[in-house]
Amino acid sequence: MDISGGEAAEAIARHHWKLFMELQINSQAVQVEADPAMPLLWVLRDLLNMTGTKFGCGVAACGACTVRVDGQAVRSCVMPVSMLAGKTIQTIEALGTPAKPHVLQQAWIAEQVPQCGYCQSGMLMAAAALLEKTPKPTDADIDAAMTNICRCGTYQRVRLAIKRAAGLGPGKPVKKLA
Amino acid sequence: MKRRTWLLSAAGAAGALIVGWGVLPPRSRTGSGRLWPPAEGQVALNGWIKIRSDGSVLLAMPRSEMGQGVHTALPMLVAEELDVPLSRVHIEQAGADTIYGNVAMLMAGLPFHPFEFEERPAKVQAGEWVVSKLARELGINATGGSSSVADAWMVLRTAAATARASLLGAASLQWRLPVDELTVRDGVVLHASGPSAHYGALARFAAATPPGTVRLKERKDWKIIGQSEPRKDVPAKVDGTAQFGLDVRLPGMLYAAIRLCPMLGGAPGAINAGAALSMPGVERLVRLPAYAGSTAGFAMVGKSWWQVQQAALAVPVNWQQRPAGALDSRQIGRELEEALQREEGFVFYEQGSVAQAEAGASRKLEALYRAPYLAHATLEPMNCTAQVKDGKVFLWAPTQVPQMGAAIAARVANVPVEDVNITVTLLGGGFGRRLEVDYIAQAVRVAMDCAGRPVQLIWSREEDMTHDFYRPMHVVRLAAALDAQGGPASLRIKSAGDAISPRWLERGIPALAGPVDMPDKTTAEGLFDLPYGFAHQHMSHVATRKNVPVGFWRSVGHSHNAFFSESFIDELAFEMQQDPLALRRQLLKDAPRYLAVLDLAANQAGWGSKLPAGQARGIALHESFGSIVAQVAEVSLLDGQPRVHRVVCAIDCGTVINPGIVAQQMESSVVFALTAALYGKVDIEKGVVQQKNFPDYPMLRLAQAPLVQTHGVPSTRPPGGVGEPGVPPLAPAVANALFSLTGKRLRSLPLTL
Repeated sequence: MDISGGEAAEAIARHHWKLFMELQINSQAVQVEADPAMPLLWVLRDLLNMTGTKFGCGVAACGACTVRVDGQAVRSCVMPVSMLAGKTIQTIEALGTPAKPHVLQQAWIAEQVPQCGYCQSGMLMAAAALLEKTPKPTDADIDAAMTNICRCGTYQRVRLAIKRAAGLGPGKPVKKLA
Repeated sequence: MKRRTWLLSAAGAAGALIVGWGVLPPRSRTGSGRLWPPAEGQVALNGWIKIRSDGSVLLAMPRSEMGQGVHTALPMLVAEELDVPLSRVHIEQAGADTIYGNVAMLMAGLPFHPFEFEERPAKVQAGEWVVSKLARELGINATGGSSSVADAWMVLRTAAATARASLLGAASLQWRLPVDELTVRDGVVLHASGPSAHYGALARFAAATPPGTVRLKERKDWKIIGQSEPRKDVPAKVDGTAQFGLDVRLPGMLYAAIRLCPMLGGAPGAINAGAALSMPGVERLVRLPAYAGSTAGFAMVGKSWWQVQQAALAVPVNWQQRPAGALDSRQIGRELEEALQREEGFVFYEQGSVAQAEAGASRKLEALYRAPYLAHATLEPMNCTAQVKDGKVFLWAPTQVPQMGAAIAARVANVPVEDVNITVTLLGGGFGRRLEVDYIAQAVRVAMDCAGRPVQLIWSREEDMTHDFYRPMHVVRLAAALDAQGGPASLRIKSAGDAISPRWLERGIPALAGPVDMPDKTTAEGLFDLPYGFAHQHMSHVATRKNVPVGFWRSVGHSHNAFFSESFIDELAFEMQQDPLALRRQLLKDAPRYLAVLDLAANQAGWGSKLPAGQARGIALHESFGSIVAQVAEVSLLDGQPRVHRVVCAIDCGTVINPGIVAQQMESSVVFALTAALYGKVDIEKGVVQQKNFPDYPMLRLAQAPLVQTHGVPSTRPPGGVGEPGVPPLAPAVANALFSLTGKRLRSLPLTL
């Protein structure tokens, strides 16, 4: 948080329970100063201005806020920042790079998955966690791992894109109306 | 009021505005380059098209992208007529001129039967003339009603073809070569003798060159229209860089969380903010009146949203019930049934004599159907970023109605609307919720107390779900009579429920709201406009006013009315001991477009063929927003609950711009509609919406999503809509399959066995 000089000191004096900590986000050490109960989602979005991770429900029900913590898919809206010391955090911003997009991002483009796009960061992070643990997922594996809500109903393309990324057939992109 | 009377009164009300229209030039929506001041290195050729010095094209984009693919489909129209690759067409938000208004959306509000639109009697022509002029004058820029492509179809192609003609004219004049010997390839004008120049090099000269004769490309020459071009917005939506309303970040920006009175229409009494104001990160509390049809409450402002949300929740408030009494959805359901009995209603359609057919009937069938209130639940909660500084208002909003947003901002901040600058971000879902401007007004009010600093106001999911503009509850009675031979003779439909359009007008454009509600087509759509050939038909609607805030919900009246009508047609087939497909085919013998769609879905689904044990099929057909969709749903029971395995869709949406996007929208519509059909219900008790978040307003997830297959009927008609028409037939297709499976006819939504 950007509170400089005397203002910062005053803030700390008044709220002595504020936590200074170092987080490992996207392979970088990041200093944050936050209420220990503040969920990771808001540390990312409001303190660090990393807006790729989305707010949807605040109760870990929709998955829009999914990030990876030590590789696992985690719903960051209910993950207090104080629990993350020493852990490795990955967000959508570091899933791939423009020069080298992640295989899932390539598959997402090939299958034309997103519509409004709001849930897609969370979907991709959940899918990345799935593929790391289960490189060749079955339909049942995908069903179990992909519990994120998409209001636009991109589910069948999410499934195709995960299979494509896993090398389980190219999927079946829609070219023409039959 | 009878229908004819209403049409005359509508014409009369519009009369004052007609003055002056005669002087509008032809092609009046192409506009001039003066409407769109060019930045460095740009030349505006008309109100829609700019050419940049590198030869790429800028399109003025008045429509909001909320998943429906409009930021790809509209550039495709322009790329086609300008002969440039789609990747070379970029978009920039359009200004506020009336050329950017959505004429097609308002035209669709005319309450004529689709067959009348085909036959075009005088009353249809007169109605269209009046509304098109009115729409043109009002210039309401809105994204809704599945109308964006239909509205842009002629306008954008004309604008692009006009620009192209000027560019060719400029080359012809510069090179002293006949214009018809010039060709264009990928934005480069060529002549066989050698000279060539890209658009960027010709643009400045072209701006002063009259276009001469402008011709649109012939269908056979299309290279882009009709292709599944990849969506232009996809790359940014897979790397996290796409900017939604919630992602706006400005220097010095504050955050605001809101709490509105939990009782709809209520207000805060005493607010004890003291302790909460001393919580870390909190700066101030701002009281919020009930803006634009919403409920009153307050906002907490500070350094991060989570901090102010915690603080807002910590404030003890003495909430006051609405003075006219608490709203209760169960009570409203009873009142709608009473209204159906007691009141005559407005007649939207009448043909033959239903009374006579019923008097001479050999058999009669009657049923009462119900649909509940529904929330939109866009995944991006309501939010708006506002800054009020030096008498000017700056807005960053995910909205379907930027001008209405600017208008309410001007009213709240008490500044001229010209001093409001609105930036439309991407929308994390719209579904009609973002046709409302309540959250924009709130953000402006909060910003007014923040000394020039920008504020991002964000609703929690709980506020979003409990302070929505809900799809209205509807109750309908349907009755069919069979003639002496046992054939279908008459169909009588009477429905009751709140009308949305007059309430929406009051909220967003108060100047247009009259003292008396005009009949609202959205109440009756999907009931008065059926394609089935009953010789005798009567459809009426009792418009109620129950004071629950109601709004447009993806496919609006069709979303529940198709469930009523298409379930009832199935009931009729069962009563007549006919196959549901066969009865529909019989009733559609004079409606070949509908029949073709129905047959395509049935054939692709293998209607009549054997299914795995425990599965059954249901079929439904529905026209909405200029497109006809038929769906066949394959359903079984899993632990006693409906499980939909596959939905085969057939669609006639006229000319298809992008088949990939059409397929996407069918998939989207099926999931959206199935969510509502299986789970969707908002209950209001003592004024309080009972469903608060996704755990109690459940959503279909990937594991339950059916396979959706889409097939198109080839067509050369102008484009119809695709964002909504896939929604209405889904619930009845599933209900009809469940009847086939269980023998139980479900007449209420959500479908509960």
